[in-house]
Amino acid sequence: MKTIYKTVIGVIVMTIVGITAVACSSTKKGYTDVPDTATAAAKEEFKIEKSGAQMWGETCNRCHIAPSPADYNDTDWETISLHMRVRANLTENESKKIEEFLKSAN
Amino acid sequence: MKKLLVLLIAVVFGGQMYGQTYNTFEPSKTQFMIRGYGHTGFEYMDSGDETESTFLGLAYAPIFLYKHSDRLMFEAELEFVLEGNQLETGLEYADVMYVLNKNITARAGKFLLPFGTFMERLHPAWINRLPNAPLGYGHDGIAPSSGIGVELRGAFDLGGPTLNYSVYATNGPRLNDGSDEPEEAGILRFENYEDTNLAKAYGGRLGLLPFSDSSTEIGFSAYSTSDTGEQDSEYEDVGAFLFALDFSFVKQISGLGGVVDVKAQYNNSNVDTATYFEIVDGIEEEYSFDNQSNSFYGQLSYRPTMASSDFVKKLEFVGRYSDFNAPEGAEWEEKSVQYAFGLNYWLSWRSVVKLSYQTTETEGGHDGDGLTNTDGLFVHWAIGF
Repeated sequence: MKTIYKTVIGVIVMTIVGITAVACSSTKKGYTDVPDTATAAAKEEFKIEKSGAQMWGETCNRCHIAPSPADYNDTDWETISLHMRVRANLTENESKKIEEFLKSAN
Repeated sequence: MKKLLVLLIAVVFGGQMYGQTYNTFEPSKTQFMIRGYGHTGFEYMDSGDETESTFLGLAYAPIFLYKHSDRLMFEAELEFVLEGNQLETGLEYADVMYVLNKNITARAGKFLLPFGTFMERLHPAWINRLPNAPLGYGHDGIAPSSGIGVELRGAFDLGGPTLNYSVYATNGPRLNDGSDEPEEAGILRFENYEDTNLAKAYGGRLGLLPFSDSSTEIGFSAYSTSDTGEQDSEYEDVGAFLFALDFSFVKQISGLGGVVDVKAQYNNSNVDTATYFEIVDGIEEEYSFDNQSNSFYGQLSYRPTMASSDFVKKLEFVGRYSDFNAPEGAEWEEKSVQYAFGLNYWLSWRSVVKLSYQTTETEGGHDGDGLTNTDGLFVHWAIGF
């Protein structure tokens, strides 16, 4: 194999290993945590958090037309959400919020 | 006797009434469900010397999902297609997955490879905006579609932008050395259910969605192996490196009154040069060639979702360009260009009727050395469930 290809593969592997290491070592508990310092709390007030409905419209449409919430029941949506989280490589936040929206709107 | 009968009736029906009244029907923690898709249609093809038209038998692809817990799941997709007066069956994928943490999911088994996005996300008939795949995919394509092995994948929220990744190890491809099919010497075959050598294929994809509205995604994929030939054969050390670049843009644009969807992917395959054999006038001759192939497709579709008419809202206009270049000097040397145009009508979010016209110009290929023009008219009906 040519050296350039080996270099490209090396860079990709290093990047992914680095990302994985950072992810595993993260101590952040969840997306809803609010920092307790006054400054951070003030900043948090201005942070615009996307709704599940907005994510449903934006994320599902990347590949297919966004599904109708009424087409499945809550239990079905839980299974489909887990399947789609992995298939479409969604973040945990996207997957959870879309699932909550679908369950609330069906 | 009468009292005994009354007592029996009270016990039997009373028990049922109690059960129906107080049963809360709690959903179980595990769940099994069947989803999938099917499609059928009509095709008319004209390649100058030859014309053919046929209705297509329904292709049926059930997907089985078993959710064991909030982290553990098994998924499998079968494929049943009526082709050449036979029922062909296939196992698209069958894998088990476990969510290790919010950023990492592990998968093992046969899974769709994230080599670009077309084969992993966009190929199902109810998602693909046109009746068939672009040039460069499928049996004679250069993009791997699935593999048997292990994979880690996940995504990161970067506070607006998001980054997704996957990295995997699989059995890797087999090199067709021409011993059985001399006309296909040098082609990589990705169906390698039992590995034929000790080397594995390693690959991955990095995808970045730079904007907070998730409208745009750019991705880079790589796939590499040091050995593709059979163990202890002269082709064992023939290595291969493939890469793909993909792009996606999907957004509702008020000024255009609808949703614009742009998809593109470039694939490049580079297999180490090797010496193959061909029979010319009864004499065996050696030959070799620079084994590099590439393919590209770009697709634009538009749905006028903001139109006032319900009928117009459900329409979709599609255009796609694709090309495929197989190596010069190979028995399967080819240069093909295809233009495809389509008009779709969405019956629901997962059911679509597609009308499409495609014209393909092929120079070389398996069927000969000359130039072939093929025009095709397709009417397909696909449904996801």
